[in-house]
Amino acid sequence: MWSFLFVRMLQSLATVAVAVVLIFVAIRLLPGNPALARFGQHSVPARVTAEMAHQGWDRPILAQLIDLPGELLRGDLGVSFFHGDQVAERLTETIPATLELSIAAILLAVPLGICAGVASALWRGSWPDYAAMTFALLGVSVPVFFLGICLMTIFTSMPTSGRVAPTMISQFHTDFFLCEAIFTGRFALALDAVRHLLLPAVALATIPAAVISRITRSSMLEVLSSDYLRTAKAKGATLWRIVWRHALPNASVPIVNIAGFQVGMLLSGAVLTETVFNWPGMGRYLVTAVREQDYAVVQGGALVIAAMFVTANLLLDIAYLWLDPRIRTQS
Amino acid sequence: MRSLLFCLIVSTFLGCGGPAVPSNILIYGRGDDADRLDPIHTDIGESVTVMCNIYDTLVTYDDETLELVPSLAESWSTSDDGLEWTFHLRKGVTFHDGTPLDADAVLFSLERLTVPMHPFVFDQVIPYVQSFEAIESVTAVDPLTVKVRLKRPFAAFLTTMAMFPASIVSPTAVKKYEGEFWKHPVGTGPFQFDSWNVNQQLTLLSFDDHWRGRPEIDGVIFLPVGESAVRVKQLLRGEIDIADNLPPAEIDSLAKNPHVIVQEKAGMNTGYLTMNNDKAPLDDQRIREAIWCAIDRDQLIKSAYSGHATKAVTLVPPTLWGSHTDLTDREYDPEKAKQLLAAAAADGVPTPIRLQLFVMTDPRPYMQQPRQTAIFIKDSLAKVGIETEIVTNENSQHFRRMTRGEHQLGLAGWTADMPDPDNFLYTLLDLDNINDVGGNNMSRYRNQKVHDLLAQAKVEMNQETRAELYRAAQEQIFADAPLVPLVHTSVRNVQSDAVSGYLLHPSSLNRLRLSKLAK
Repeated sequence: MWSFLFVRMLQSLATVAVAVVLIFVAIRLLPGNPALARFGQHSVPARVTAEMAHQGWDRPILAQLIDLPGELLRGDLGVSFFHGDQVAERLTETIPATLELSIAAILLAVPLGICAGVASALWRGSWPDYAAMTFALLGVSVPVFFLGICLMTIFTSMPTSGRVAPTMISQFHTDFFLCEAIFTGRFALALDAVRHLLLPAVALATIPAAVISRITRSSMLEVLSSDYLRTAKAKGATLWRIVWRHALPNASVPIVNIAGFQVGMLLSGAVLTETVFNWPGMGRYLVTAVREQDYAVVQGGALVIAAMFVTANLLLDIAYLWLDPRIRTQS
Repeated sequence: MRSLLFCLIVSTFLGCGGPAVPSNILIYGRGDDADRLDPIHTDIGESVTVMCNIYDTLVTYDDETLELVPSLAESWSTSDDGLEWTFHLRKGVTFHDGTPLDADAVLFSLERLTVPMHPFVFDQVIPYVQSFEAIESVTAVDPLTVKVRLKRPFAAFLTTMAMFPASIVSPTAVKKYEGEFWKHPVGTGPFQFDSWNVNQQLTLLSFDDHWRGRPEIDGVIFLPVGESAVRVKQLLRGEIDIADNLPPAEIDSLAKNPHVIVQEKAGMNTGYLTMNNDKAPLDDQRIREAIWCAIDRDQLIKSAYSGHATKAVTLVPPTLWGSHTDLTDREYDPEKAKQLLAAAAADGVPTPIRLQLFVMTDPRPYMQQPRQTAIFIKDSLAKVGIETEIVTNENSQHFRRMTRGEHQLGLAGWTADMPDPDNFLYTLLDLDNINDVGGNNMSRYRNQKVHDLLAQAKVEMNQETRAELYRAAQEQIFADAPLVPLVHTSVRNVQSDAVSGYLLHPSSLNRLRLSKLAK
């Protein structure tokens, strides 16, 4: 088992390296360059050329790529050319915002998706099934920005943007607003942070909840028709026990698989939700950087996202080992 | 009972109001955040809106008009040859950090802009450097007198001194923060920088010792809210006091609300259809003229600008001196367009004519609905027999590709950096400004006569004579029709009725010093 984990970790590192190199090359292959983007409509050819040379971006891509491992090993993600600040510093501000939002969305999506899927499998062909699957269809098809604006229209007393009220932001010393407010016992601030978090988290949770509910349904249907469950029923086990003790654990591998994938997706940033709700997360930061061809930000962001994604997948593999003895034995 | 309790908790939770915002802080919602708050290193509108409240310049615009009035300089004079400008500074002005304003501070600020490799410039990207390249040297004559020497007479020099890059910064703060001054800006303006959480909010507080008196409001919070529909909701709920940069349809609908005030001023901008004069068949004047005649601009204004624009005949907006308002427009005349095309075809121009029309994705002040405008032009040209293919690119790619001359037709426009015809005509149509990197003459129009007239107007100090030269240049440009001027749009801003005193300025500078709040 340990060798399996070791191999998976090596694979994860390789995946991160490949992702960073691909992004490094792709952003440089885009037409235009960062100096042009910054000078905007006031570009002076000589100055643009001089700036590209000054930054070393006029060298062949391979020559630039050779410098990258050294910089990364030194922990230097570089400075944003467009905004002038340290990429690592900005990432430490945006990652907590993304984490709070995505964790809130996961906490909503996973239980909701599993419950809806289980209910729909248990009462297949009746109204709970239709209701859950309609919800799932809507969840995957309604665009997030539309849903966000609908939520704002319905819940008129809920705040529409930001992580806390504008005048309260100075009371925080870290970027984990909600956690900080809870741990320091400032419950008025915590309540305000939760109120700001709720609508974006609901908007963000819809797609994963819908996907999880569909997978849970199909996986549960497969398990529910198996012989051992018929035996359990014959022995007089309660519905509750059949579902939660016997059926769901056996149906859980595909559910964990898809839930883990969705977690990875959420952690890597939710651009649309962040834009609609003015949430200062990583997705928004990176999309702006791609538009501005801000090399250091895009590379740093790609590194962090790839790392988060492969970590989520690694944890998923460990979860498989724990859930399914067969995988444990094979590995 | 349990569900009743649950409902009670949920409704209490949802219904409870957030912490009250102190009533005298103005909340300004706009589409994006600032990038850097160092006046020499940015050309982003969102940064300018913040900086024009933090910094002062030597001269500035009147509160309501484009007339230049004293600011940090109480008075000024120029030598007879126009090469030497002397500014007499206001006494007793201090920066937000307590540093007194003197000639050395002005010298320091202007030299950061003009001296190559200045020791206190840590980033060589200075977008407006060309606007100040006429400055040869700056000298501090005495603590309250500064002399600026020019390389050659430059008629628009005083106007450039009112531009935001010429803002006076605190030398103490620049020396203290060095390369990070952009996030600790210190000026002499009515508001001082307080805090900035990037992409969340930027807070300014009123400066008690401002030389024109403390503003009535206690401060301003700028909120970047990307979705315009969300800004509308926030305004209606009282979460923000001013909503910037809303689409025309949203503004029209908000104007009907009694608690919302819509301010409107004629802007200093022009939206136009650029035609690549280097590419056949657009190198034929008749084809360009036919395109001009084929577009019903009155109808375009109704459909793509909700009527909030005026028809353009020349690039210089009529609000600006030097605009040739007596030119007889080429009216919408599809029959004439067809005749011109037929004449060109008879001379060997291949038919049917097929053109690519480049379109940007995001709206600009002069091109508020690019997609609709492009479709309108495509339909108009189809009626006279020109086939058009719409090519859509993200804004920066759109302009980059057109700068390289990849387009045939393209939507473009310009908002004035300063109120001077030179800023439109020289920038957009002079042969000096054709290059693949940053040339704004995207029509690739080359006319020696126009170039000579514009060069002469640049150094002529008498405004009447300059206006004559610009009129002559505009007549030649109109005859050649290198592009089709489409519209000059109005600048509109939306605010809650609790805000008063805030005046929309024709320069588009959002100066908030006079704002008052009645919450």
